[in-house]
Amino acid sequence: MRSTPPRLAVWLLDRRLPDTWRDYVVGDLVEEFHARAEASEPAARRWFWRQALRCIAAPPPVLWHATVPQDSPGDSMFRTLLADFRYGIRILSRTPAFTLAVVGVLALGLGANTAMFSIVNTVLLRPLPFDQPDRLVRLFHTPPQAAFPGIHRFSVSAANFYDWKRDARGFEGMAVYRFRQFTLTGGAEVKSIVAGAVDPDLFKVVRAQPSQGRTFLPEEDSPARGHVAIVSHGFWRSHFGGADVIGRTVTLDGDPYTVVGVMPASFSVRSWDLTARDIWVPLAFTSEQRAVRDNHNDQVVARLAPAVDVRRAQSEMDLVSARLEREYPESNAGWGATVIPLQELIVGDIRRTLLMLLGAVTLVLLIACANVGNLLLARAFGRRKEMAIRSALGAGRRRVFQQLFVEALLLALAGGAAGLVFARLALDATAALLADQVPRADEIAIDLRVVLFVLAASFVTGVLAGAVPALRASNTDLNGALKEGGRNDAAVGLRTRRLLIVCEVSLSLVLLMTAGVMFRTLVALRNVDTGYNPHGVLTLSVSLPGTRYKTPAEKTAFFDAALERIRALPGVQSAATIDTLPSQGGSVQPAVPEGTAELSPRDQPTVAVRQVSPEYLKTMQVPLRRGRDVAYTDREALLVSASAARLLWGDADPVGRRVTLPLMSKTLTREVVGIVADVKLGELSEAPVPTIYLYTHQQPSPELAVVIRTAVPPLTLAQAAAGAIRSLDAAQPVDNIETMDSVLEQTLTSQRFSALLLGGFACVALSLASVGIYSVLSYIVRGRSQEIGIRTALGARTSDVVRLVVFEGMAPALVGIAIGVVAALGVAPLLEKLVFGVNASDPITLVGVAGVLAFVALAASLVPAYRASRLDPLTVLRAG
Amino acid sequence: MWLNRTQALGDFEQLVLMGVLRLADEAYGAAIRREIHDRSGRDVSINAVYTTLDRLEGKGLLRSWVGAPTAQRGGRRRKFYELRPAGIAALRQAYHAFHAMADGLEARLGAK
Repeated sequence: MRSTPPRLAVWLLDRRLPDTWRDYVVGDLVEEFHARAEASEPAARRWFWRQALRCIAAPPPVLWHATVPQDSPGDSMFRTLLADFRYGIRILSRTPAFTLAVVGVLALGLGANTAMFSIVNTVLLRPLPFDQPDRLVRLFHTPPQAAFPGIHRFSVSAANFYDWKRDARGFEGMAVYRFRQFTLTGGAEVKSIVAGAVDPDLFKVVRAQPSQGRTFLPEEDSPARGHVAIVSHGFWRSHFGGADVIGRTVTLDGDPYTVVGVMPASFSVRSWDLTARDIWVPLAFTSEQRAVRDNHNDQVVARLAPAVDVRRAQSEMDLVSARLEREYPESNAGWGATVIPLQELIVGDIRRTLLMLLGAVTLVLLIACANVGNLLLARAFGRRKEMAIRSALGAGRRRVFQQLFVEALLLALAGGAAGLVFARLALDATAALLADQVPRADEIAIDLRVVLFVLAASFVTGVLAGAVPALRASNTDLNGALKEGGRNDAAVGLRTRRLLIVCEVSLSLVLLMTAGVMFRTLVALRNVDTGYNPHGVLTLSVSLPGTRYKTPAEKTAFFDAALERIRALPGVQSAATIDTLPSQGGSVQPAVPEGTAELSPRDQPTVAVRQVSPEYLKTMQVPLRRGRDVAYTDREALLVSASAARLLWGDADPVGRRVTLPLMSKTLTREVVGIVADVKLGELSEAPVPTIYLYTHQQPSPELAVVIRTAVPPLTLAQAAAGAIRSLDAAQPVDNIETMDSVLEQTLTSQRFSALLLGGFACVALSLASVGIYSVLSYIVRGRSQEIGIRTALGARTSDVVRLVVFEGMAPALVGIAIGVVAALGVAPLLEKLVFGVNASDPITLVGVAGVLAFVALAASLVPAYRASRLDPLTVLRAG
Repeated sequence: MWLNRTQALGDFEQLVLMGVLRLADEAYGAAIRREIHDRSGRDVSINAVYTTLDRLEGKGLLRSWVGAPTAQRGGRRRKFYELRPAGIAALRQAYHAFHAMADGLEARLGAK
């Protein structure tokens, strides 16, 4: 095949060359290319490119001879740009200190932005790694508001799910799942593991293919044939060493489960609790379980049918729910359904936080821009003479502007490159921290989109930081600049510089204010009155395998014995069990006081229900208001929280009254033996919910948390407490050993994350602003040294000089603070949803941060002021 | 007339003019470039050659005409050049000047 010259080069030449030359020049090059290609094509191509680029940079002029001198068109834009770039690199490398300072400041600003954008990119922009993830939705119940005030998403009941699946046409597929706790044996150690129990359709809905084996068959969704398992890529590597695994077994609760498939690593999306599992088993509902309609314990994922959007799916679900309400009023009255995109659910609450942080980090970049703009301006004025000479030699304003502008762009690009490295390091360094704070943190990486972002941000930064100085400098008055002994540098452009300080200070104030209220939110949440005392409490969880502890009596015996041994440990003050620890979710159920009829689910009041052992109140130090604590001598006894008492009995005294929990048993009534204080069982930022604590002498739950109040630092007893449990049953795993304080702290991750980052951003902003004020004042002092010298010579005192300079610095700073206060108040409504225990426009915080800024501005002004006051009038005046 | 007398040729102009003279009927951009490369070893760019040809034509030392497109060139035309009398005169003058100045210096230049 005959070789062709590089197409791109020919295309470029065709665009670049004037009509008069195109044919001849390109023709010549093509002709010679063919001649050379016979010897070596790559060499010919290189030669062609070399020639082409030279022609593109400087094509032959048009009709040189046909005209008498026209207006000279000057050099081509391309050529001058190239020259400016070359000159810019040379001149910047000649002042390495300046260049390093500017690139450093920009790298900080751009790096912080890049790191933040990488996070936003992964969490908010990048789609989930499934086929057409935007079609995946989660379905929830919406509970009746009278009974479940403030709760808008509820798990789904099995019978309702099967009806939804049968009736709703707007979905391509729908699958149900829940989580099952197993004890895994057969490996190096016994451990409890939470498996996903899934509908066989699940993998079809998500469109996930196993990397080995198969997914579940429809007939495996039955208790008889359900002893099969699919394992994650990670589990396959860790548990089976990556060996051939199909057909082997894993032992869960003592039963063998045959492995039929391995999911690929890409399926393990950590931020979706379903895909984050190591093992999936078939849901295998019994027919009784399938028929449960009033107990809501299941999760549903679905894929929208083609051309159906979320709104249409929602309106269809509304219709289906309304029909089910009519059909099963006793269980479904008031229960609706809601359709939420999976992505939104995973990203959820973090979206607002991330966008706020991105906004904050943009402010940091703007401050960096103002700072660099200041430095560039100072430098441009230092080079006024050079610019004036250029103008005198015929350079137009545009050329002078262009040259300075190109320098700013070069600096910004260098800053961007350094920022990219900085961002990479920052993300690596904080990977562990991030993992707990944001969903999909493990996927955060610098991809093409991030690189494009850096390029764009660098360019915009260059424009922002470089445009004003370049414009101001290209406007320089020729005469003034060329005259020796003209006005000193610093006197010119002062207004622009003051303006930049105003900008820096006001932006810093907004950032400081945001950081301030977020910190106060964090502090408020940490000090929130939970109603109990979480300090000095050790917690751990124990999950008894159903295969070895079959009856309630066996479970009760185990937990009673365990508590007895733990209480006997030195350093333990008391110990108890509860089914779900505070702020870890838990059961919410209707409660019916004796003597009243059970209402429809729409109206029946609901309460949080916790199963506790005696001594729970003592251990958590929940105040007992009336009556007594439950005791081992009780068979069935209840404690009610003050708000639950009010909800169910109004002002009447509930002690001695009886109540039914219909979801547990419609016939069994239990006696209230005491009233306790309200405690926060849910989110720390929310009000306590009415709660019933239930003691049953026959413990039905296999999975309990043990809480231990200690007289010594709680974690020092961790080994001993776990040992006490294992001494009862060596094969029994003990999990989640931690303090109650850290359990609570884990609920504050998002607040801690934003407070931490904002604090960092605010520090950067503060230091940039102070450096900005300092550098501008230094210029002013240098520029006015003669004046100051004369003043001193005429008898001005040190304090006068200091006052003069400090005023120069403080005036724009104070204006900046005033503007910043207004801006911060304007931003406050955006933060309202993120703060707790403090107003987003909190005046105390506002005054505080304004004070901090004023102090920093003062400190930054004092150094140049001091230097000015030490000027020796004799030296200065002689030098002038 | 005075124009011709004052028109001293630049070094590269001389090379291009001699290239045109050597190539006679086959004097077009690529051929001239190759001739200069082969003989003087200077690998010049095609745009420089055309810029110079254009300038020399403007000075009245060259004339040009356009040939037919050929497949070898991707269907593009050639532009041929030949010397006008003024061009020959200018080249001659340059030649004489060079020889007059170089006369007797061959040994010192190590040229012979």
